[in-house]
Amino acid sequence: MSDILASPAPKPTVVDILRSRRQNRYAKGAFFGLLLIMVMWSVKVTVIEDTDWERIGSVAKVIEAANRFIGIDFSLFPSLLGPTIETLMIACLGTLLGVILCIPAAWFGALNITPYKPVTYPLSRLMMTLSRSIHEIVWALFFVAAVGLGPLAGVLALAVRSIGFIAKMSAEAIEDIDPGPVDAIRAAGGNDFQVVIYGVLPQVLPQVLSVIIFEWEINIRRSAILGMVGAGGLGLVFFRQMNTFNFHGVTSVIIAILLLIMLGEVFSYFIRKTVI
Amino acid sequence: MNRAMTPQPGTPQRQWRRFKYPGSLISYGIWLSILVFFAYTVEYLEIPLDRLLGMFERMGSTLANRYYPPDIEYIMDADYLEYVLETIQMAYLGALFGLLASVPLGWFGSFNMSPSRRYVYPAARLITMGCRAVHEMIWAILFVTIIGFGMLPGVLALMFFCTGFAGKLFAEEIEAIDMGPVDAMRASGANLFQIMLFGVFPQVRVAFTGIAIYTWDVSFRAATVVGFFGAGGMGWYLKRNILQIETERVAAILLSIIFLVLISEAISAWARARVMKMK
Repeated sequence: MSDILASPAPKPTVVDILRSRRQNRYAKGAFFGLLLIMVMWSVKVTVIEDTDWERIGSVAKVIEAANRFIGIDFSLFPSLLGPTIETLMIACLGTLLGVILCIPAAWFGALNITPYKPVTYPLSRLMMTLSRSIHEIVWALFFVAAVGLGPLAGVLALAVRSIGFIAKMSAEAIEDIDPGPVDAIRAAGGNDFQVVIYGVLPQVLPQVLSVIIFEWEINIRRSAILGMVGAGGLGLVFFRQMNTFNFHGVTSVIIAILLLIMLGEVFSYFIRKTVI
Repeated sequence: MNRAMTPQPGTPQRQWRRFKYPGSLISYGIWLSILVFFAYTVEYLEIPLDRLLGMFERMGSTLANRYYPPDIEYIMDADYLEYVLETIQMAYLGALFGLLASVPLGWFGSFNMSPSRRYVYPAARLITMGCRAVHEMIWAILFVTIIGFGMLPGVLALMFFCTGFAGKLFAEEIEAIDMGPVDAMRASGANLFQIMLFGVFPQVRVAFTGIAIYTWDVSFRAATVVGFFGAGGMGWYLKRNILQIETERVAAILLSIIFLVLISEAISAWARARVMKMK
């Protein structure tokens, strides 16, 4: 303590400041130069060398290929209603199951309430990372192998995939709470369970709810493609239309997905307004 | 002492109840209807709940018997590593192009800075929402059918995905700025570009950098699987081995994906922390 007081840090002189600025500028220049070189190199590899330009042909041919998608197959719409509802329901159930599964993950993953830090904290982090790093399609393939074709595989895939995000945000919200109420309940003789129910939960509920609603929106997006690997919903119709080269039908399915997502966004906007 | 307990004359008599009459009824009604909805959902989707319990046993035995010794040699192969490199390239090219496209979209789509609230704002919002709403796999499939197999469709799919992702965050960030400098510049006669460049951009620079790093991270996670439908990268390897039921190789590939995502997450967290410190 005393020698810190004895020798105060020397004030930076103008020369020092200018030098550090210059170095900063060099570092920045080097960074952006490196970035530019990397980008050029990968453009060369991916876009110029790897692409089969002869197959693509001219711009006109690309536009012609894209034109196949323009147009809507109206006859498909009546048969899209069922899969759309199915997709929505898979998303709802998946989110619900994900929320249930993420309760232990969020509890173990918040540093201030985790029961036994050296074991439970890394365990929860592992759960979150696993859930986030594996794509929903891969999870769906796993669960299709485990429980067979059908919506259940999709629900499980979405649930497992949702754990990561919800648990991470909830754990961060729990870490930020005001410790006062928790201490008060503990001082009044509340047990751990009561502390969580009456001290922690009321403080984090609005944030956690908004995270859940956000994840629900994302899950609608995700459940729309899970059908491609056999989990029911709009993805299955999309895949079928694609394989029968009914490109107008593909556009119809995409429009149905867009409508569903718009509906979800409007709905979540109103829920957010009333709840929070 | 007793006087404090007895209600004073003149004050209306109020009794404390744990469950207040209309409020609690409404909230219980809502909870009940949500419960009924979920029960109906299970019924509608014909979910075999009995299979749910048997699942763990079956999954455990499948993982232990078929996936267990992951074929590490397979993922150390030079061919595979080349595909990993391709995936990384695709991810950052897609993120870069997407970010370039989403800066103007974020500008036009922010309510306070949009050049025209009547036409440009809804159009920009709609484009952003459209990019975000369509899943990256669907983009990948569409681009593969239009321009064929390879990495270019992957880059394009990731670009659209990142545009939607970053465009929304950028717009929200611009909407949260302090309008003081903007008003001052407008009062002194600056045009739209000058306001954007000197009034808005300095305020959101740090946040944009953070979002850009995060976008790259998300893009990398998506890039590991866009190859599933022929858009280049590791996804194709994964699909091939799944179709051939080479489960040990699949396990190894999944392990490599988890490992790479962990690394990219660590890098992005570190970079974001550094950027935030500059604030």
